Amino acid sequence: MSDSAAPQTVGGVLTENLWHSNPIFMQVLGICSALAVTNLLVNTAIMSVGVIFVTMMSNLTVSILKSLFPRKVRMIVQVLIIAFYVIIVDIVLRAYLPDIHEALGPYVGLIITNCIIMGRAEAFAQSNGPLLSMWDGITSGAGYMGVLMTIAFFRELLAFGTLFGFTVMPAGFTPWVLMAMPPSAFFFLGIIIWIGKTIMYRQQEAAA
Amino acid sequence: MNKQSLAYTVIFTFIVCFVFVAILSVANQATAERVEQNQVVAQQRAILTAMGIEFDSDEEILGLYEEVEEIEVDDRIFYRTERDGEVVLATAFRGQGVWGTIIGVLAMDESLERTMGLEIISHEETPGLGGRITESWFKEQFRDREVPEGRLTYVRDSSPGAGEFEAITGATGTTDNMERILTDAVQTFKEKWGGERA
Repeated sequence: MSDSAAPQTVGGVLTENLWHSNPIFMQVLGICSALAVTNLLVNTAIMSVGVIFVTMMSNLTVSILKSLFPRKVRMIVQVLIIAFYVIIVDIVLRAYLPDIHEALGPYVGLIITNCIIMGRAEAFAQSNGPLLSMWDGITSGAGYMGVLMTIAFFRELLAFGTLFGFTVMPAGFTPWVLMAMPPSAFFFLGIIIWIGKTIMYRQQEAAA
Repeated sequence: MNKQSLAYTVIFTFIVCFVFVAILSVANQATAERVEQNQVVAQQRAILTAMGIEFDSDEEILGLYEEVEEIEVDDRIFYRTERDGEVVLATAFRGQGVWGTIIGVLAMDESLERTMGLEIISHEETPGLGGRITESWFKEQFRDREVPEGRLTYVRDSSPGAGEFEAITGATGTTDNMERILTDAVQTFKEKWGGERA
C-alpha cells in the first residue's frame, strides 16, 4: 500500500485514495478497464459509477462479515461478495436501463475482474470498520473515475471530436482513429502517471 | 466455535453461497418479466425503425406494431406493413462480425429493388470503430437505397450510389462483414419472399 501509516481518518482516506495511492496512477490497478472503456465519456461515466457502487458495497459487506470469515476461504468469500454486487448492477441495468445495458455490453460483468475492488476488500475492509470501509470504497472508486474520465475526455475529443456525444471540434476536424483504439489509452495513462509522479516528487522534495 | 476448523469453513462457505445466490435468484426472477418485455419492445422498435415508422415513446411502439403483419415463409418471419400507402417488408438477419454476431433488421420495398431501412439490434464490434454501424449516418444510408443487382457493396472515397454504401473508416473488417451480411439479407428476401410470391 502507501509508504505512510495506514490512513484511519475520513480526510486521510480521501486524500490517500484520490491522490497518494490513487488506484490507477499510483498502484496501477484496474488498467484493463482503463484501456477498454475510455473511448467514450458516457460509457466511462456509467462504468465508473458501477465500480464505485461495487467497491462501496463490497467493502461494507466484507467489513461487517469479516470476523466470521475462516482464514482459508477469506478471498473466495470476498470474490463471491464482489460478484454478487456486480450481478446486481447487471440485473438492475438490464431491467430498468436496457439502452445503457446494451451500450456497455460485456463491460459491466468485467467489473468483477477489476483488481481495485478485490484490493480494497483485502487491504482495507478486512481490517477496518464498516462505515470507514464504505467511505474507502467510495473514494477508491472516485480515484478510479477521476483518472478514467480524464483519459476518456482526451480520447473522445481527439477520436471523434465530441464530448458526451456532442460535437465540439470545428467542422474541418479530422478524427484521429488511433485514439478510439485501446493502445491510445496507454499513451494517456503514461502521461498521467508521469505528471502525477513528477508533482508528487516535487512535493516530497519541498517537504524534505 | 473454532473458526479455522474444517467443519466451520464448509458450513460457513455453504451458508454464504446459499444466501447470496438466493438473493440473486430472487432479483433475477423479480425482473424477468420486465427484461422479457424490454426485449419484445426492443425487437418491435428495431422493426419499426427499420421500416421508417416514427414513434415517440415505448407505449406508442406497442400500438404501432399492431399494424404490422407477421408472415412466415420457409421458417423465416417477414414483417409487412404499409407506410404512406406503400408496402414495406422487413426481416431480421444475423451474421458473423469481427468479434461476434451482428443481429439486425433490414427493410425493403415490395419490389425488392430498394432497401427501405436498416436497424442493428445487437453487435459486439469495437466501440467507436465497427460499433459505429449503430450510428444514424451509417443506417440512414440504407433508407430508400436502390439495390440493382441484389447486392450491396461499400465504397471508400466516392459518395455511394445505387447498391453502394459508405465504408467505416478504421473498421474495414466490420465493413466487409456488413457487406456480406446485408447482401445475404437481400438475397434472403429475393429467395424466400420473392420466390414464393413471384
